Amino acid sequence: MAMTHRLHSSSCRVLLSLAVISAAAAACKPKATAPSERAEILIGATLPLTGAEARIGGFFKEGYELAFDEVNQQGGLEVGGKQRPVKLQLDDDTTNQATAVSLADKLINSDKVDFLLGTYSTALVEAQTTVAEQNKVPYVNGGGAASEIYQRGYRYIFGALSPVELLGTTLMTWIDEQQRAGKLPRPSKIALLWENTSHGKDFRKGVSAYAGKRAGGYEIAVDESFELGGKDFGALLGKVKAAGADVFLVDAHLPDYLTMHRQYLDAGLCHKVVSYGARGSEQAAIDALGADHVTYVLSGVWWNAQLADTIPLARKFVEAFKAKYGGRTPEWFQALGYEAARALFTAIRQAGSTDREAVRAKLAALRIDSLLPGGTLAFSAAHGGAAQNAFVVQQNLPDGSAPIIFPRDVAKVAGVAPSPRCTP
Amino acid sequence: MTAIRPRAAWRRVDVGCGAACAILALLPPVLELSAYAHNLMTLTFLMIAGALAWNWMGGFVGQVSFGHAAMFGVGGFVAGRLMLSLHLPAPICWLGGAIVAGIFALGAHPMLRLRGPYFSIATIGIGEASRLVFTYWDRFTGGASGLSLPLDGDLKYQLYWWALAFAALVAASSVVIRRSSLGLKLLAIKADADAAADVGISATFYQDLIFVLSGAVVGLSGGLYASYFSYIEPGDMFGFDRSISFVLMAVIGGVGTSLGPILGAVVFVLVRTYLLASYPQLYLGLYGLLLIVIILFEPLGLTGLARRVLRRIRPAPGGAPP
Amino acid sequence: MARLLDMGLSAVLLAGLYATMAYGLGLIYGVLRVVNLAHGGVLMAGAYLGFCLHERFGIDPYLSLPIVAAAGFALGVVLYQGLVRRIPRGAAGGPASLLLLFGVWLVLRNLAYLVFTGNDRTIRTAYVASSVAIGGSHVSVNRLIVLGISAVIAVALHVLLRRTQIGRAIRAVAQNADSCTLAGIDVHRVYALSFGLGTALSGVAGVLLATIFSFNPSSGSSELLKSFVVVVLGGLGSISGVALAALLVATAEVFAILILPAYLTTAVGFLLLVLVLVVRPGGLFGHRVLS
Repeated sequence: MAMTHRLHSSSCRVLLSLAVISAAAAACKPKATAPSERAEILIGATLPLTGAEARIGGFFKEGYELAFDEVNQQGGLEVGGKQRPVKLQLDDDTTNQATAVSLADKLINSDKVDFLLGTYSTALVEAQTTVAEQNKVPYVNGGGAASEIYQRGYRYIFGALSPVELLGTTLMTWIDEQQRAGKLPRPSKIALLWENTSHGKDFRKGVSAYAGKRAGGYEIAVDESFELGGKDFGALLGKVKAAGADVFLVDAHLPDYLTMHRQYLDAGLCHKVVSYGARGSEQAAIDALGADHVTYVLSGVWWNAQLADTIPLARKFVEAFKAKYGGRTPEWFQALGYEAARALFTAIRQAGSTDREAVRAKLAALRIDSLLPGGTLAFSAAHGGAAQNAFVVQQNLPDGSAPIIFPRDVAKVAGVAPSPRCTP
Repeated sequence: MTAIRPRAAWRRVDVGCGAACAILALLPPVLELSAYAHNLMTLTFLMIAGALAWNWMGGFVGQVSFGHAAMFGVGGFVAGRLMLSLHLPAPICWLGGAIVAGIFALGAHPMLRLRGPYFSIATIGIGEASRLVFTYWDRFTGGASGLSLPLDGDLKYQLYWWALAFAALVAASSVVIRRSSLGLKLLAIKADADAAADVGISATFYQDLIFVLSGAVVGLSGGLYASYFSYIEPGDMFGFDRSISFVLMAVIGGVGTSLGPILGAVVFVLVRTYLLASYPQLYLGLYGLLLIVIILFEPLGLTGLARRVLRRIRPAPGGAPP
Repeated sequence: MARLLDMGLSAVLLAGLYATMAYGLGLIYGVLRVVNLAHGGVLMAGAYLGFCLHERFGIDPYLSLPIVAAAGFALGVVLYQGLVRRIPRGAAGGPASLLLLFGVWLVLRNLAYLVFTGNDRTIRTAYVASSVAIGGSHVSVNRLIVLGISAVIAVALHVLLRRTQIGRAIRAVAQNADSCTLAGIDVHRVYALSFGLGTALSGVAGVLLATIFSFNPSSGSSELLKSFVVVVLGGLGSISGVALAALLVATAEVFAILILPAYLTTAVGFLLLVLVLVVRPGGLFGHRVLS
C-alpha cells in the first residue's frame, strides 16, 4: 500500500525529470548560425540513401553533387554583391515518410538551411512538401512524379519532373500515331493495369483521359489496380488474357515489372504494344528475364543519355558526369537531380539574394535552357509548379539497344508496332 | 491492493503529476524551444496517448493487439475527411474521428472471445484487411494518394498543448482505471477469464468496453496526427509498422504499467530520431538489439528497470510492488 | 472454361508457394507454441544465401537447397539456445517472444542492408522464363518445381514425425512438455531441434521464392502475414492442415477475381483468417498435435 503510493509519486518524479531532460536535450541543440552569419549558402535535402530506394537515392545524390561542384568551381553564386559558395546538407530519410518529414523540419528549424532540394519517390515528396510549404521555404525537386503533389495550391513547391500523367498521355500519343498509320486496329482494346499508388493513379488518368478524347479509337477493356510489391499476378493476367486486348499498358515499379512480366511470359501472353510505364530497358530486367524476352517493350522516361545528340546542355551534362564518375553514363535520376539543383541556383543568382520570397518569385517565373526534352525548363504555374516537359519513349530492340522512338525531333529510329513477337 | 490507499497519498501523486504537466505546458515559451523540438514533443505526446490506450487492452486486459493501426487510421481519415469536406473546426473533427474509431472497434466483438496468440493473429488479419480496403476506398481516404489537409501553422503550434492535454488526460485515466474496481476486474479477466466469469465478471462486456475506449483514444490520436502532418495516406496510417509501433512502445516501456507506455513512447520518438540522425545505416539493427536486450533482461521494460533501481535506492519494508 | 482451368492451375501452383512458406512457421508454433516473427527475416536470409551461392559459385538454386537448409538449421539452433530458451513458456511469454523475434528480424534486415545494399535481387537461371504446356495453359517451370518440392517436404515431414525416434520425441514434447521431462526426454534439445528445423524450412522457402520473385532486405512481411493465415487456417500444429489450408487460401484468392477487383483479392486471405478464427479457433482441420 504505502509502497505503491511511493512508487506512484516516484513514477511521477521519474516522468517529470525525464520530461525536463528530454525537453532540455531537444531544445539545447548547438545553435545553428543564423543565415546571415554564414559564409556559404546552405541548401538542405534528404534522400533515401538507405532503405528500399537507396539505389536511386544514390543516383540523385550524384546529380546534386555534380551541380554543387560545378557552381563551386566557378566560385559560387553571386549574392548581394559577394561570391558565396553553396553547401549541401544531405540527410538520409531511409525511404520513410515520417522520417523525411521530421528531417525536413530539422533542416529548416534546427539547421536553418536557406532552401530545400527534394527527396526521391512520390510518397516522400508529397509528405515532405507540406513542411516546406508550412515554413515558406522554396523546395525544388526532381523526384516527385504525381500531379497531386502540385494540385494543392502550394506556392513554394517546384517540380522539375513532369507528372506521370503526361507519361500516359505521351505513350498514348505514340500509339495513336501507329493507329492512324494503320498499324493498329481501330478501335484498339487496351488492358490497363496500374500499381495502387499516386504514381499509378496518375498514369491511369493520363491514359484514360486520352482514350476518352479519341472517341471510337480506344476501348479500355481492363482497368485494374494491383498492390505494390504483389506476389502473384496470375489471376489478374488471366483477366487480361480473357479480354483479348491489343495494347497492354502497365504502370509498375521495377520489382513488380519483373514479377509480372515473368508471369506474362509464362502465361504465353502477347500484345501488339506492351509498355510498363517508365520501366523497360533496365539492365536488371535483361538480367532477370533475358534480353530476348523484353524486346519491343516500350518505356517512357523523363530523360535519356541519347538526348546528348540533340540537346547541347544534355551533352554538356553527360560529358561532365562521365568525367566525374569514371565514364559511367547517367540515367534520368542523375539528370533530374542535377537539373533541379541548377534551377535553384539560377533562381538564387537571378534574385541576387537568399531572401526566400525573392527566390520563390524567381523560381515561379523561371525559364531556362535545359537538358530536358524540349530544351527548356519552366515551372508551369498553370500546373501548380510542375514542369511539363515531354517524355521520351524508348523501345527495346532485338540488337540489345533501346533507342528513343518518340518525340520525332529526338527520335533515333521509328518504333515498331505491332510487336513482331506476336504472330497473330 | 491498489484501490486501498489513504487519500493523502493520492493527493500527493496527483499534485506531482499536475506539476509535471504544468511544467511541460510552460516549456515552449520559457525555454524558447526551436520549432523542431516543439514539434518533436507534440509528436511524443500523441504517441504517449496512443501507447497508453493500447496498453489498456494489451496490458490491463492482456489481449495483445497487432491491429490497432486500423483504429488509428479510421480516426485519422474521418477527422481529415470532416475537415476537408465539411470544414468543421479541428477539435470537432478529432472527436468525430474518435467516435467512429470507437464504433469500428465495436466490430471486433466476435474476436474478443479468442485468447492469447489467436487474438493477436486475428488482429493482424483485421489490420491488414483494413489497410487494403481503405487504400482501395478512394472516395473516403483518397486511395493511395491520401488526403492533403489545409495547412494551418497556428494549429500546428497549438497542437503541442492539445496533445499535452490529451496525453495527460489519457495518463490520468490509465491511473484511475488501474486504481479502481474496474482495474481489478480487468486484472481478473487477464489472469483467468473463466474464473472471472464464475464470480460474475463478464469478460465480453468489459473487453468490449475497454476495446472501444482504447480504439476511440487511438482514433483521437490519429486525428491529431493528421493535423500534425497535414498529409496522411493509408499505407502509413493503417500499416503493419504502425500497429507494431504501439506494441513496441508499450512493451519497451513496460506493458501493464501506467508509466510504461509513457516511457516507451518517449524512447520510441526521441531515441528513434536520434538513431536515425546519427546512425542511419545501423538504426534498424540497433533498435532490434535494444528490443532483444530489453526482452531478455527486463520483461517489464524500462519501468521494470526503474523499479529495480528504486528498490535498491529505497529498500521497502513491505513486499515488492505489484 | 479454359480460363477456369488456367485459374485452377494458378491456384494449385500458388498453393505450393504458400505451403512452402508456411511449414517453418507451423512447425515452430506446433512444437514450441512460439510465433516466430523472425520467419520473414529468415526467408529473406535464405534468399540472399541462395543468391550468393548462385552468383559467387554458380550453384543452381535447387541444388543449393541442402546448404541453405543446413545454414538455416544452424541459425535456428543458435537463436533458440541464445535467445528463445530464456523466455518463459506459455501466456507470460507471449508478447515477449513475439517481440524478441521481431528484434531478431530487424537485426537480420540491417545486416542484409549492410552487406547487400537495398537493391532488388533475384536468382536468374537459364530456365527462368521457360514454361510447360499443360492442357492449353502455360505453366512456369519454376513454380512447378516449387510445387514439387512442397509436396516432397510434406511427405518428408510426415515421415520424420511419424517414423523416426526424433519425430516421436518432437510430437511428445509438443503434446506435453512436462511429462516428457519426467520421461527423460531432453526437452530443450528437442525444442532446439524443432526450432532449427523450422528455420531450415523457412530458409529453403526463401531460396525457392527467390527464383520466382525479386527480393530485398525489407522482404518478408507479406510472406510472414500470408504464412500466418495459412498456419492458423490449417490448425496450428498440423502439417497436412498447412498444405490443405494453403490450397484453400490460394484458391480463394485466385477465384476471388471473378467477383472482386484485383486489388482486393489480397484481402480475401485475411478475411478468411478472421472468419475461421471466430467460427473455429482451432483452425479448419482441428487442433491436432503434429500429424
